[in-house]
Amino acid sequence: MKLEVLNLKKKFGEKEVLKNINFTFESGKIYGLLGRNGAGKTTFFNCLNEDILPDEGTFNIVTESSRPLTIDDIGYVLSTPVVPEFLTGREFLKFFLEINEGKIKNEKTIDEYFDFMKIEEEDRDKLLKDYSHGMKNKMQMLINIIASPNILLLDEPLTSLDVVVAEEMKEILRSIKTEHILIFSTHIMDLALSLCDEIIILKDGNLTLVDKNLKGEKLKNKIMEILSEDK
Amino acid sequence: MFRTFYLSYLLRNAYKVNTFIYALKSIPGLRKLLPDKLYQSKVLKIFGNIISILLEIINIFLGKFLYLFLMIFCTISLYKTEISTTFLHVFFFLTIIGSFMNTYMFNPTKDKYYAMFIMRMNAKSYTLTDYFYAIFKIIIGFLPFTIVFGLLSNVNLWICLILPFFVVASKIVIASYNLHLYDKKGIIINENQPGKYINLLILLFLILAYALPALNIVVPSYLLLILMILMILISIKRIEYIINFNKYREMYKIVLTASNMNQVENANRMAKENVLKQITIDSNKTSNKKGFAYFNDLFVIRHSKLLWKNSKKVAGISAIIILIAFIIVTINPEFKMSINNMIMTYLPYFVFIMYLINRGENITRAMFMNSDHSMLTYSFFRKPEAILKLFKERLKSVILINLLPAIIIGFGLAILLLATGGTSNPLNYLILIISILAMSIFFSIHHLVIYYLLQPYNLNSETKNTTYTIVNLLTYIVCYYMIDLRLPTLYFGISMIIFAVAYSIISLILVYKFAPKTFKIRI
Repeated sequence: MKLEVLNLKKKFGEKEVLKNINFTFESGKIYGLLGRNGAGKTTFFNCLNEDILPDEGTFNIVTESSRPLTIDDIGYVLSTPVVPEFLTGREFLKFFLEINEGKIKNEKTIDEYFDFMKIEEEDRDKLLKDYSHGMKNKMQMLINIIASPNILLLDEPLTSLDVVVAEEMKEILRSIKTEHILIFSTHIMDLALSLCDEIIILKDGNLTLVDKNLKGEKLKNKIMEILSEDK
Repeated sequence: MFRTFYLSYLLRNAYKVNTFIYALKSIPGLRKLLPDKLYQSKVLKIFGNIISILLEIINIFLGKFLYLFLMIFCTISLYKTEISTTFLHVFFFLTIIGSFMNTYMFNPTKDKYYAMFIMRMNAKSYTLTDYFYAIFKIIIGFLPFTIVFGLLSNVNLWICLILPFFVVASKIVIASYNLHLYDKKGIIINENQPGKYINLLILLFLILAYALPALNIVVPSYLLLILMILMILISIKRIEYIINFNKYREMYKIVLTASNMNQVENANRMAKENVLKQITIDSNKTSNKKGFAYFNDLFVIRHSKLLWKNSKKVAGISAIIILIAFIIVTINPEFKMSINNMIMTYLPYFVFIMYLINRGENITRAMFMNSDHSMLTYSFFRKPEAILKLFKERLKSVILINLLPAIIIGFGLAILLLATGGTSNPLNYLILIISILAMSIFFSIHHLVIYYLLQPYNLNSETKNTTYTIVNLLTYIVCYYMIDLRLPTLYFGISMIIFAVAYSIISLILVYKFAPKTFKIRI
């Protein structure tokens, strides 16, 4: 499966944030999306997620044939976790499983999912508003993993987690990548390098793929060079 | 000193001019026409400067004019006491209140923060120049109007000349006392959030100002005059304290905390916390439903404080009021006529009452803040069929919850009508009940529909949609206008029912057509 982004353009006022993006993402890979502040990473995600309308451009899912991207294809994990505060963890999961009945592959029991996410038993029946930041994040990730959308957009999802949870999450992301396209936006280069299979850079409204034959310091230097060069 | 004044003037002005350009840009339609470069435009800066000077002049004079005209000159004409003494009496007590509520020195404003903490200007010289400029403005602003309104109220010219000085003198005395309080005890008085005692004091002085003359009591002019001159003499001594005070920087560090200054953000955060506090868990109550019905059921259960409990409270109060009316007409039959008349012609008034007791707006806000704000980021929740399924569940709940008080009011009015002598046309009973129920259902649908069609909140739960604000305001204005409408219950009731049904059908069609597109988080 591939995700084709064709002629994506987006302007805010005079400012062309996304100039003309043409890029093909492939499943089985985690893409690390790097870019300086204000480069347009969030705008790019918002366009894919239909939160804002692009000025121009099409998104296609290509398997044997090609079809337009729909909202079902996308999961979006935000850096500030968002969960319905008035439900308990268990209720949220129950609700989610019920309305997606029949659509979930290898459905497990609620507690199995909690075990998988390493959410403690005593926390499962607490209101989500009383969950810690990390636990809310786990719930959000869990829902997105169960929904198993073709494309998972991740906006700095690990930065505010403690090291243990962050490692757990990385493991989980690696374990689901085979059947999905994961696009992971971050400011932390080391995180991108350790987790991602490809590094893409958003700069001056264009996406560039960084040559992955480079290794170690050379790769870092190349990324720095691309990020910091002037137009 | 002059340099500090000039710099602080420049800073305040830059801030004002940019605020003006920003405001200009936030007018819908103009935003797209005006580029960001606007902030650099020389012409606009000059224009902004002129506006800012004009505003400063208006600021100096307009407030004082309105204050003296409305709060004093107009009101004293209502009293029977001697006019010049009354003028001085009210002026005296209001000035004392003003010196507590409006010290200027303790008002946490952004320009002070920018100057002292971001631009790192010397706190003392900044505060002093800024403060004495403000004092100067007060004198200039008051003088023409104390003369005009004073003379018109038969006050001696030389007393009129003293009045502005009395105003600033009492401000200086209070400000210096507050500084003293900080110096000795570390207490800071935030004038925008006065404590219990200050509030009581303000209330007391308000009563002294306005209630005494109504009882034909005014403090004799000579006494007031002595007090004023005394205040001015004390203030001359206290200026010295203000000038010699050396802890301005540390004091303003406390006065100008983020929470004091960013009142809008602060209010927003508090609102969010308050809505979150509405969530209560009762482990005995749960739901046997499935899917969206389950989701909505739990929302209703966990927000019972906002929903059912509140609706029961309103229903209870309505029942008590109707019962009291019922008792009054039984004991005192002469009221029968007037209450009967009222029920037969005051139905439009109930539009406003039904508007007030409908919790639709609060409910949709809670829906957003505690649920949709997060759920709308999940794609499964944003699918058209999902949006409509949940909308249906919510509609049922909101209508039901608001219907309880409506039933009490509708039937209560009908019974009251019967008890006060009834009506020649029995259809009136039916129309009364149905139209009250229709109003309730109409408001429930209205609030939910505009929430779904105009979803106004962004991720920070701020309202980002002017249309939504305007629609809400219009709803209020229309309902408020109904207060003055007197129409026979029969005709008004029937038109109300037809309107409510038509509106409901049309708006539901609109929701089914457009909500899947409009119901998302504002960026």
